[in-house]
Amino acid sequence: MPTPLRLLLIAGVAVAGLFLPALAGGSPAIYSAAVLIAIFAVMSYGLDTIVSDLGEVSLAHTVFFGIGAYVTALLSVRLDLGPIATLLGTIVAALIAAGVLGLITLRLREFVFSLVTYAVAVVAITVASSWSFIGGSDGLRGIPPFELPLIGFTAKDDAALWPVAYVLLLATLYLMHAFRRSRLGHAAIMVHLNPRLATMSGIAPQRTRLQIFLLSAPITAAAGWLYAYQRAFVSADVLETYFLILMLTAVVLVGRRRLLAPLIGVIIIQVQEKFFPFGGYVDKIILGSILILVLAYLPNGLAGLIAPLVAAGRRAVARKAAPSPSNTEA
Amino acid sequence: MNLAQQLLNGIVLGHAYALLAIGWTVLLGVARLVNFGHGQMYMLGAFVTWYAGARLGMPYLAAGAMAITAGMVIGYIMQRIMLRLTLKQDLVTIMIVTLGFGYVLQGAAGLVFGSTGQILETPLSRIDIYWGDLWFTWQDIAIIVVAMLFFAALKYVIEHTGVGRIARMVAEDPALALLSGINVKRVYLGVFAFEGAAVALAAVMVAPRTPILTSMGFDEVIITFAVVVLGGIGSIAGSYFAGLALGLFTAFFGAFVAPAYTTAAAFAVLIAVLAIRPRGFAAAPGSR
Repeated sequence: MPTPLRLLLIAGVAVAGLFLPALAGGSPAIYSAAVLIAIFAVMSYGLDTIVSDLGEVSLAHTVFFGIGAYVTALLSVRLDLGPIATLLGTIVAALIAAGVLGLITLRLREFVFSLVTYAVAVVAITVASSWSFIGGSDGLRGIPPFELPLIGFTAKDDAALWPVAYVLLLATLYLMHAFRRSRLGHAAIMVHLNPRLATMSGIAPQRTRLQIFLLSAPITAAAGWLYAYQRAFVSADVLETYFLILMLTAVVLVGRRRLLAPLIGVIIIQVQEKFFPFGGYVDKIILGSILILVLAYLPNGLAGLIAPLVAAGRRAVARKAAPSPSNTEA
Repeated sequence: MNLAQQLLNGIVLGHAYALLAIGWTVLLGVARLVNFGHGQMYMLGAFVTWYAGARLGMPYLAAGAMAITAGMVIGYIMQRIMLRLTLKQDLVTIMIVTLGFGYVLQGAAGLVFGSTGQILETPLSRIDIYWGDLWFTWQDIAIIVVAMLFFAALKYVIEHTGVGRIARMVAEDPALALLSGINVKRVYLGVFAFEGAAVALAAVMVAPRTPILTSMGFDEVIITFAVVVLGGIGSIAGSYFAGLALGLFTAFFGAFVAPAYTTAAAFAVLIAVLAIRPRGFAAAPGSR
């Protein structure tokens, strides 16, 4: 249970986080990396609910990301709508897409589910790069800056966009936290680990799956929404495999079902790519290799690697503090 | 006449698809495994063939043999790394790992072969044949012949030889196979090496038909998936006919409806089939 002190501490850390890029030097490169980290982390949290909680692998989440970016671009370029309206449009479009995809894949499991979602992603790329209504291979240009006239806010660069990205990230973290404590969160885990028991306890597995899908898609799409403003243009490359591999690696790298894990995963990957790059091809090899090695050799992620060390450290400290074997720590 | 030309294109394309899918058919049918790096392995097979031929000056057959060997080695290494997951039958994780392998292969190929597209020319693809109004190359004939021979040989090996019996047994019940003294690990490694070799063979034969890029490979996975599922998972004869059917469908759809949306259309067919018989997937592993 969150005590007032704990709440205060969390609030303090949350507020302090806002100033992290400034503390790290505050250069445009830092702010740009920070905004992208926030966007990609939000994108990954959408997938996290499917992978960690539902135990399936959706490879169609780049499509939700793309839907967010494209809907935002279309609404703002063609209809001159502001960020609030484009966000609403993004959420509605993501819900519709997730509903359709969810219904199609409702009865599919494991690799068939993944393959169908992968096929959706591949088809989405071909459609996005050939359908002229959404810009075809040229994409959509001229997305206006992120502007909220009501409070006189305009974000012309990444430094100004950072608070927006940060708020989106915090909102997502809160949503994830609330989801894992909710009935739906518990139902998802039960469907994942023991479908029969879930059915016996009155949980409809297929309904749960659909609900998780409907929760997950708008989160990833919201990341696409902000990405459109950050880049000021959208083209079929928002659907690239890079985003999929990035999401998957971020979700599994640190450990599953830990609130901050995808965020930390994205930070590790993005810091390497933005500040210690080895060129596009080598970065690809690095990212792919991390994904392979973690899954093949670290089933519990980095946390699984660190946890025994931490425990050993604690034991050592405890031994030093109380040399008698009768200490109560276990 | 256009219709006859499309029919011919469809038949060639169909055999190309069948050839592309054969590794997966065995992988899924025998080992109940999947490989999302399949498309990138196809890409790599094409580039190794191209490199050996155009840069090292090797003849087509030797270049092809080199590509197939490379495919086999890569397949073996992949399975070696994933073996623990395979023995646990942790399919979800295996999928992501193979996806990661595909991504690594793509990066490595870009690093070695560059980002420019190449044309893989073979002695057979250079000779055009005109027959009435019809146009094709010797490469097209070779694709059809190789695909037919490969499928026939595979069907024979799986159904009538000791190797095939072992593979079928592992597919049926890995635990029981282990108890009866079969080295299950070796079967899994062998199946994945076969998958790598088979997709490389497909690349050697089929890749000369189109320009090759290190970023290709996605369409190939989807086509493969469609062929394997439409044919009934693990069924060798089924895959052959499904490949043929899909090739004809793609050729006619591309020629008469919209070439840009052929992958989307093939996928739509697949979804329709899935909607009609989703239970088809629940078929017992190894059942034919």
